[in-house]
Amino acid sequence: MTAYLVRRLVQSIPLLFIISFVLFAFTNALGDPLAVFAESRQRPSAAEREMMVRRLGLDRPLFEQYLVWLVGNDWMLVDVRGDGSVMEPGTRRGVLRGDLGLSFVTRQPAWTRIEERLPSTLMLMIPAYVITVTLAIAIGVYSATRQYSLFDNLVTGLSFFFFSMPIFFIALITIYIFAIILPRYGFPALPIGGTGDGTLPDLVLHMLMPVFCLVAIQLAGYVRFIRSSMLDVMTQDYIRTAHAKGLSEGKVVQRHAFKNAALPLITLVGLDLPFLLAGAVVTERIFAWPGMGRLFIESFERADIPVMMAILMLLCVMVVVFQLLTDMVYTWFDPRIRY
Amino acid sequence: MATINQAQPIARLSTDTYVKGRSNLQRSLANLRRHRMALIGAGLLVFVIAFVVIGSFIIPEPVSRFNDPARALQPPSAEHPFGTDVIGRDILARVIYGGQVSLFVGVTAVIVQMLVGTVIGVAAGYLGGFVDSLLMRFAEAMLSIPQLFLALIALRIFSDPTEFPDFFLFGRQYSATMIVIVFVIGLTSWMRVARIVRSVVLSVKEQEYVTAARAVGANSLRTVLVHVLPNCFAPLMVSATLGVASAILLEAYLGFLGLGVRAPTPTWGNIMGQANSYLNDWYYWFFPALFIMLTTLGINFLGDGLRDAFDPKSLR
Repeated sequence: MTAYLVRRLVQSIPLLFIISFVLFAFTNALGDPLAVFAESRQRPSAAEREMMVRRLGLDRPLFEQYLVWLVGNDWMLVDVRGDGSVMEPGTRRGVLRGDLGLSFVTRQPAWTRIEERLPSTLMLMIPAYVITVTLAIAIGVYSATRQYSLFDNLVTGLSFFFFSMPIFFIALITIYIFAIILPRYGFPALPIGGTGDGTLPDLVLHMLMPVFCLVAIQLAGYVRFIRSSMLDVMTQDYIRTAHAKGLSEGKVVQRHAFKNAALPLITLVGLDLPFLLAGAVVTERIFAWPGMGRLFIESFERADIPVMMAILMLLCVMVVVFQLLTDMVYTWFDPRIRY
Repeated sequence: MATINQAQPIARLSTDTYVKGRSNLQRSLANLRRHRMALIGAGLLVFVIAFVVIGSFIIPEPVSRFNDPARALQPPSAEHPFGTDVIGRDILARVIYGGQVSLFVGVTAVIVQMLVGTVIGVAAGYLGGFVDSLLMRFAEAMLSIPQLFLALIALRIFSDPTEFPDFFLFGRQYSATMIVIVFVIGLTSWMRVARIVRSVVLSVKEQEYVTAARAVGANSLRTVLVHVLPNCFAPLMVSATLGVASAILLEAYLGFLGLGVRAPTPTWGNIMGQANSYLNDWYYWFFPALFIMLTTLGINFLGDGLRDAFDPKSLR
């Protein structure tokens, strides 16, 4: 097991280097990051601008920029004027030493920008995800044990319906009903934007609609997945044996069927969890939620390369880490697997 | 004379052998016809396509561009069944012409995705070794980023709007960003196709008939095209069908964020993007969103039916 884990870790390191280089090349092709200064009040002169370009290393070849991004440039001198007259030591320590660089827009460390947004994204995504998986298990198991019943057909139909629904449609309908129509009849209007005034009850009120929409969209896929993996298990010989032993239906489902049907669910959850960090771009836009999805869009619109790279690398590292964790958890739940 | 004499026994042989048993494709199509959900899905799609095609014969294209601020944001009426938008354009006409563009983008993006995915999948599976691991690591890398993020990055790299002027086709003006979006969506969604193709190629390339083809002198290209690729047909059909739905959704999301196809070309997505600020005027966002939903619902039903129909386990 340990040997397997070490091998997997070692394999994932080159993968991360490949990903980071590809992403670095892509994000650096996004256009001129100094364009933000053109709109600012103190427009830099051409000479200042050139100095900024040199300090940021934007005049260097891509591969050298990537190396600086990785290991920093505090060990080398930056030729600020381009003629060798002023040589400054570099200030960056590089990603490998925990320095994700400064945001081009706010001049804060990129990681600080992420730290500001991550909690509100997780506040939205984690409750939505927990509710989704719990509800999906309940509905999926119930409908699989009653295959082709009215309830099962209804669930199958509805899950297709919601699976095909663009999230903005359900979000706009929800807003229209709860914030526009119902208040006309004297019901209190649910708040539509932001995270509230900082108190917990207000926060919960603001979370109601976005969480509902996220659950409605995600639920369908999980229900279909759990239903089909339950149906697979229910036809196995050991289920018939359990019935033949005289076990009650409830015990067969809980002890024998669900436990086995839940194994593929572990993989699915493990693959999906890291993406919770990315937030939900469209949902966050509609409900004016200050999360990671919006941070990405904002940094994208202003070509804020360090922040974009920080978000993307965070995601990639989490995907790799969660794949490893999933493998470990899987062996723990399924003793048939040996490495 | 000689040729006719030779041809006859072959013809008789073929009727004897093949008429009684049906080909896999025929059997799959028969399965599909029995699949209720697939029929509903096909029906929905026919409805949507008929709507955007027949609609464009009834309502001429200039109607979708004609704006009159005096009649802005009118709710549905006999004159404007879907109401009017913020600068007084008829929403019905915009949904019809926007739908044509959305469907076009969805289908062509999937063609790009299939071509790229197939080429990469065949290269990885057939060549193997270093090429295989490099390409598959690359696919893995792209899969570990949400597709919307990838699409945004690709979008910015491709589209400097000044470099892509509007173009005219059949008397209509289109924004060139439409073509850009096709490639953005296609080039950020080929990974699953590549994996499917690679796994099929790996499973058939060591089989005797492929070895036999090579032994009689077929070159690599011919071996792949004639003997290996046809095996991918069924899984690719399913994947392509479902791919159209996700391409249309991605276009809608990009349009909704204001980053998709630009004016003057309407799409369901960018109509939604404009309507986002007018929540009170339900007809503005409801109809384009409804048509997006009907299309993806139809495609998902049909794709599910296709999957069942092509699944050898469900052959009866």
